[in-house]
Amino acid sequence: MTTQSELSRRGFLTVLGGALTLGFDAGCGGEQAKIIKHAERTGELAPNMYVSVKRDGRIGLTINKAEIGQGVTAAFATLVAEELDVPIESIDYAFADSLPEFKTSSFMQLTGGSTSTKEIFLPLRRAAASARSMLVSAAATGWSVPASECRTDAARVFHDPSNRQVGYGELTVKAAELPVPESPALKPRSQWKQIGKRNKRVDARDKVVGATKFGMDVVVPGMVRALVIHGPVYGANAKAIRADAARSMPGVHGVFAIAGGVAVVADKYWQALAAAPSVDIEWAEGDVPGLGSAEMRASAHAFKKPGVSARSEGNVDKALEQASIKVEAIYDVPYLAHAPMEPQNCTVHVRGSSVEVWAPTQSPTILQASLSEALGVSASDILVHTTFIGGGFGRRLVADWAVEAALIARAVGRPVQLIWSRENDMTQAFYRPQGTAHLSGAVSADGTHATAFSAQLISQSLFLHSDPFVHALAAGVPRSVQNLLASTIAGLMGSSTLPDFLEVEGLATLPYAIENVEVGFTPIQSKLPISSWRSVGSSVTGFLVEGFVDELARAAKQDPYTFRRTMLRPGSRQLPVLDAVAKLARWGEKRPGIGRGIARHFSFDTEVAEVADVEIVGGRIKVRRVWAAVDCGLAVNPDIVRAQVEGAIIFGLSAALLQEITLMNGVVQQKNFDSFPLLRMHECPEITVEILETDRDPTGIGEPGLPPIAPAVANAIFDLTGHRLRRLPLQAALDEARRT
Amino acid sequence: MKLDINGKSLDAPVPHDTPLLWVIREEAGLTGTKFGCGRALCGACTVHVDGAAKRSCVTAAGDVVGKAITTIEGLAKDGALHVVQQAWVDENVVQCGYCQAGQIMSAAALLARRPKPTDADIDAAMSANLCRCGTYPRIRAAIHRAARALAGDAK
Repeated sequence: MTTQSELSRRGFLTVLGGALTLGFDAGCGGEQAKIIKHAERTGELAPNMYVSVKRDGRIGLTINKAEIGQGVTAAFATLVAEELDVPIESIDYAFADSLPEFKTSSFMQLTGGSTSTKEIFLPLRRAAASARSMLVSAAATGWSVPASECRTDAARVFHDPSNRQVGYGELTVKAAELPVPESPALKPRSQWKQIGKRNKRVDARDKVVGATKFGMDVVVPGMVRALVIHGPVYGANAKAIRADAARSMPGVHGVFAIAGGVAVVADKYWQALAAAPSVDIEWAEGDVPGLGSAEMRASAHAFKKPGVSARSEGNVDKALEQASIKVEAIYDVPYLAHAPMEPQNCTVHVRGSSVEVWAPTQSPTILQASLSEALGVSASDILVHTTFIGGGFGRRLVADWAVEAALIARAVGRPVQLIWSRENDMTQAFYRPQGTAHLSGAVSADGTHATAFSAQLISQSLFLHSDPFVHALAAGVPRSVQNLLASTIAGLMGSSTLPDFLEVEGLATLPYAIENVEVGFTPIQSKLPISSWRSVGSSVTGFLVEGFVDELARAAKQDPYTFRRTMLRPGSRQLPVLDAVAKLARWGEKRPGIGRGIARHFSFDTEVAEVADVEIVGGRIKVRRVWAAVDCGLAVNPDIVRAQVEGAIIFGLSAALLQEITLMNGVVQQKNFDSFPLLRMHECPEITVEILETDRDPTGIGEPGLPPIAPAVANAIFDLTGHRLRRLPLQAALDEARRT
Repeated sequence: MKLDINGKSLDAPVPHDTPLLWVIREEAGLTGTKFGCGRALCGACTVHVDGAAKRSCVTAAGDVVGKAITTIEGLAKDGALHVVQQAWVDENVVQCGYCQAGQIMSAAALLARRPKPTDADIDAAMSANLCRCGTYPRIRAAIHRAARALAGDAK
């Protein structure tokens, strides 16, 4: 039933792991010898670290990315099936263990930044094409015909002139003796049969029958289960524990303090659950005593100094002074939790100085670095097996939960599976930072376009720019991980010089043709842990830019679509996308009782524009329809691209309408889905997604659908009610606006 | 206690008030049923008890002795996908997939009660099942597809 063959996966990786440097272009000397030896031993052709061809003609595919729902398994399988000319059903995929050669994202093994398909698009096709080329050469040599006369289809090589054919499985050992081509020819687009066309997920069947193994489903022989009780304030340590009753309960192995919590360990999780209420803990102060999100917002409102400049063009002050149409506004966004459906969990076995981990992680490398620091063992002695993952959204880039599991495992001396409750997850969440922006802008006298735009953003910083050469990630993340993650994300984002570029992305990169622009950022110092949350800085800047641009358009009595259109440069990627969504939604057609808003945003190298239709029923915001147009380059699997955009819109709507994490006196107020609601079936709009046809290679798609939805809805509410909502979540903001 | 899970008898040495979810996962070793919130707020743990959708995270195991418990693993019969599971595959519903066992169990219970559900029926039956990836539009489409398939079979 399962597509994952545990045995062959381990065997394959063991061999390749030994080879260490086997890459796409490995082809001579020692590498060749290893390929031959591997083929003799196993009958498999394994010319590189991704693709192997087995004796039965099936294809082994090692995926060094995490499947967090974004469809990376289907993307990898599609690319390989295309270049190898095999049916996608013949591909057996497995996730790569934490091995050095799989660190393909700026020297890290990491899934994030909407980069997977973009990153793998060329190298993976090359890996598959080199295997195909070797198989063809092996067949041609056997038949004594030129390779150029052969073709491949359905995992077979054909020589039509002599009417001969042979299956890939029969060629593997012979092919392994041939050199690995350095730059194998890739199929031209015109010959693609699967890329851009096939649209079924390869992970669907296992998921609908309950066979997929997520992190929480891992079972290791001899393992015990653990839960952790956290203090009311983040980072609090236990000062005293009274747990005699709990310790004597059936199956309980121990109740003891770890850094930032108290562990309850039992044979079964249900036994730990039963024991936990009998544990009485006295807590120390914690890392953020007294922190209040409302007070933080009030301070940010009162703070008027410009921050570190991220962009400065023309003279904003002068333009504002001279303008007759101008707007000033303050925008606010709250802390947010990722709240993936699978609560954090991790299975760890510490054996002296070597550690084995089974984890739903977005980055085995970060996990290794975190455990290395916590346990004092070498990162290279930590082996991480990545499982299927029940949602990531950035939360599983950091590995605080793995550290807890490792500390418990070391204490009990046997494999431990730590399972967090939803309450643990919600109150220890590495939040999307709360933020406030002071905005001002001016419009030309004829009203057609903005002449000035100024934004001063105040929030906690994902990167604190501590010295000219070292970016440090925010509180709660070990120093070694901060450096690793900072350099990696900087690499992924194509910037390593601008401080706090993650916060101001979409703001500093504002694509509108406005003569006078000023963007600044002021970091808030706090030990409350924060991290990337689906679309990262763009989850904030999309809302404030597109809300505010809408305000400028309305102040100038302009149509919000036309106003944006006028300011987008001809030939840009923005303009066709904006036009496409306007056409798709029949912009300009108004229906009574329905408000309509438009917004766009560029993130992760992808442009998305959205239109939302909104009603207010009994004071409640009802988003009825959403249209989205997307330029994400080539869509390898168009239906999965559509699903990602739908998902990002719905994820974004939960935040736009309903969600906020608030702190009072250092304590997170939201504990579970009753107080941190997700959008539900009956609240979900009808969504239409159009993918623009382009010649560009794939760009990001997991995140870019999110940023435009909050401003599109806010703008629609203004259209309907005249209330300009400048604070998320919008339902709370509307309730407040209607009260005053 | 003795429990009937997917037609098999299970001897579970657990106290009466142990949540059924953990008996299914840890005693029966069936991991398709998921833990999401522990308070019947998300629906990831949905199973059938005598054919009705139940949140197993707040159901005491002792309360379902003698009743027929069906988990996601028991839905497909003789290797053939249940009509709801097939519709899920055909509509490309799943993303991360973690909530989907619960979604499918709720949908199957709905279709057993109402073979031709309206959108309002779907809203009523499915709104307690949360999905963080945002697969709701496809879940709706898949339920309608499954209903059409059921109608076809009945002819």
